[in-house]
Amino acid sequence: MLSTNFLGLNLKNPIIVSAGPWNRDGKALRNSLEAGAGAVVTESIVSDTFLDVRPRIVCDDNGAQNIRLYSDIQVEGWEHELSIAKKNDGIVIASISAQTPSELAYLASKLERFGADAIEISVSNPMMESLEVVASHADVVFEMTKEVVSTVKIPVMVKLSQNTTNISKVAKAVKAAGGSGVSAINTVRGILGVDIETAKPTLSTYGGISGEYIRPLGLASVATIAQTVGIPICGIGGISSMRHVLEYMMLGASAVQIGTAVMMNGIQVVSNIIEDLACWLDEHGIESVHEVRGRALENLKSFDEMKIEPAISMDNGVSCTENCNQCVVSCIYNAITRDGDTISVNRDCCEGCGVCACVCPAKKLLLTW
Amino acid sequence: MNIKQIAKEAGVSVATVSRVLNHPEHVAPKTRERIQKIMEQEEYKPNWFAQGLNFNRTKTIGVVIPHILNGPYMEIAKGIEDVARQKEYVTFVCNIEKDLKLEENYIEQLLTRRVDGIILMFSAQVDRLAQMIEEQKVPVVVVGENQNVSNYNAVKVDCRLGARTMVEHLLENGYRSIGLLCGKDPKQESLDILEGYRRVLEEHAISEREDYIRFVDNTIEGGYLGAKKLIAGGPPSVIFTSSDSIAYGAMDAIKDSGLSIPRDIAVAGFGNYRMSNLVEPKLTTVEMPFHKMGVYGARLLFDLIEDGNGSEGIRQITLQTKLRIRKSCGHSERIGEMF
Repeated sequence: MLSTNFLGLNLKNPIIVSAGPWNRDGKALRNSLEAGAGAVVTESIVSDTFLDVRPRIVCDDNGAQNIRLYSDIQVEGWEHELSIAKKNDGIVIASISAQTPSELAYLASKLERFGADAIEISVSNPMMESLEVVASHADVVFEMTKEVVSTVKIPVMVKLSQNTTNISKVAKAVKAAGGSGVSAINTVRGILGVDIETAKPTLSTYGGISGEYIRPLGLASVATIAQTVGIPICGIGGISSMRHVLEYMMLGASAVQIGTAVMMNGIQVVSNIIEDLACWLDEHGIESVHEVRGRALENLKSFDEMKIEPAISMDNGVSCTENCNQCVVSCIYNAITRDGDTISVNRDCCEGCGVCACVCPAKKLLLTW
Repeated sequence: MNIKQIAKEAGVSVATVSRVLNHPEHVAPKTRERIQKIMEQEEYKPNWFAQGLNFNRTKTIGVVIPHILNGPYMEIAKGIEDVARQKEYVTFVCNIEKDLKLEENYIEQLLTRRVDGIILMFSAQVDRLAQMIEEQKVPVVVVGENQNVSNYNAVKVDCRLGARTMVEHLLENGYRSIGLLCGKDPKQESLDILEGYRRVLEEHAISEREDYIRFVDNTIEGGYLGAKKLIAGGPPSVIFTSSDSIAYGAMDAIKDSGLSIPRDIAVAGFGNYRMSNLVEPKLTTVEMPFHKMGVYGARLLFDLIEDGNGSEGIRQITLQTKLRIRKSCGHSERIGEMF
């Protein structure tokens, strides 16, 4: 039911544990595989000296900012780590990052030799490199992908960034260069916040934002790529539940990656998602997970195609939440008044924007006509 | 305890113990772990000399470096050593003080000592020496000094692009008269920097002034003297140098002449040596990936040592420089320093 083919690899389920410190060595990778993941991606392997900045991660309820999450194990050490990771089978994707095509090709060829099942090229890191991330230059991504693809026999996917004006152009470059797939999106450059008493940003420099904050961006990127480029997509960004997995898949992803949720909630989150996903498919009479792929794409419409319906907000009669006045406060057209448990919508003022239906905790308001 | 005693203790043949030392992947995991445990308990140290006889390996590599007091060369050497250590190799570092005869002499010595491979670092006589090493069937890798290296496994840095990026940055910051102090060595890298500089000026229709380009010794003193001459002849608004050493000298000369950096004359270097973040004003420069040059040099060498030149043919790795914007060029956008 959950098994799927991605990059030509047979995954027992579409849940992949993403590159990050939770997959920092062979033992950690094994741990992720044992939690049931369909595949795992190593922490990004680089040839730079390890910059031990501390602290390097901050987080809040909606996500995290990191300023350096590279592997401190050089490629030589990964021979041993991969042998540990692959001890009892399981699909291991090696994430690599470097500045030039020849460097990337070198790392990829080594990791292929050490047993990696696929390569993920990560050139979309929003930190340190330059104001413009490498993955915003389709021509550079093309050269890098081409060199790696021509060097190894295993599938190559490229991790793309939202920090670009046209993600579909970059995905096309990956396809033209012979890449087997893309993953989207990497963390997005950001600053989590500022301590207003000390005037210090939460981390001392710009970092990569992950988690809830970026899921809408990830969903849109996946949909955009799916609507423009015929290439397998791995959805990434803010996935912490079965629902998020299905959202990504319905917008065109063949598989998904989970990282921040593993960091915040432990590897158990992977097992839970897999279990929930199987239940949901079962309940909906869906035999195979790839049947959901792209289902929501046909419901993404242009403004031309949208039917103009004179919908306005209506009270469906359920009781209000006690002491809640949210719909009244948030109605930008002043159409809603409240008297005890009774909500009145002024039909002439309501423009059917939909805010009240979203904010009502009791789900008392809905749009209809 | 010797290898025979270890074998006896473990109840296996000497050949099996030897395989654990040299090709552990060919020994059944349980047996391997048992033997390794005994070796640990007995603090057994293999006789490398005997091993060398057996496998024709001495587990040593040689690195020939131009000048040991030059920081960047030591950073490259560290990159090499970092990889060699993981491979349990010992690295011989030979300092030649830019003496060509000494360089040849050291290579002969390394060959006599049967090193398993040699890295030529910024060698001024790559052609002759690399051939000499290969004739002895010893693997060789060339790091830096990119001239005529197409026949060898080599690590290169795209210095032309590095110079382009810097000169474009200087033009963006409003500098129209750009002087260049170009080191006499390393030859190829300096020429590449000159070429990158010339190309950008040409593209911006800025006519090149002969008197703004000076070839100097790649030292602080060379930079000092070169900058003094530029100042005496009516200085350009910025002095770009082919190494940070030259830049330090130029900064000293500018200050000695009672001028201020960057207000009167700005300075831009090449290399990003450790000191460049500490000089006053902090030096804007082009970062060379020195450590990584060493790492890849060693990787290519060990590939040759372990696999021979097999199917992969000549392998060359090109690395990239990176613009490091600081204070010596008077830029105004702080964000330029952040990435």
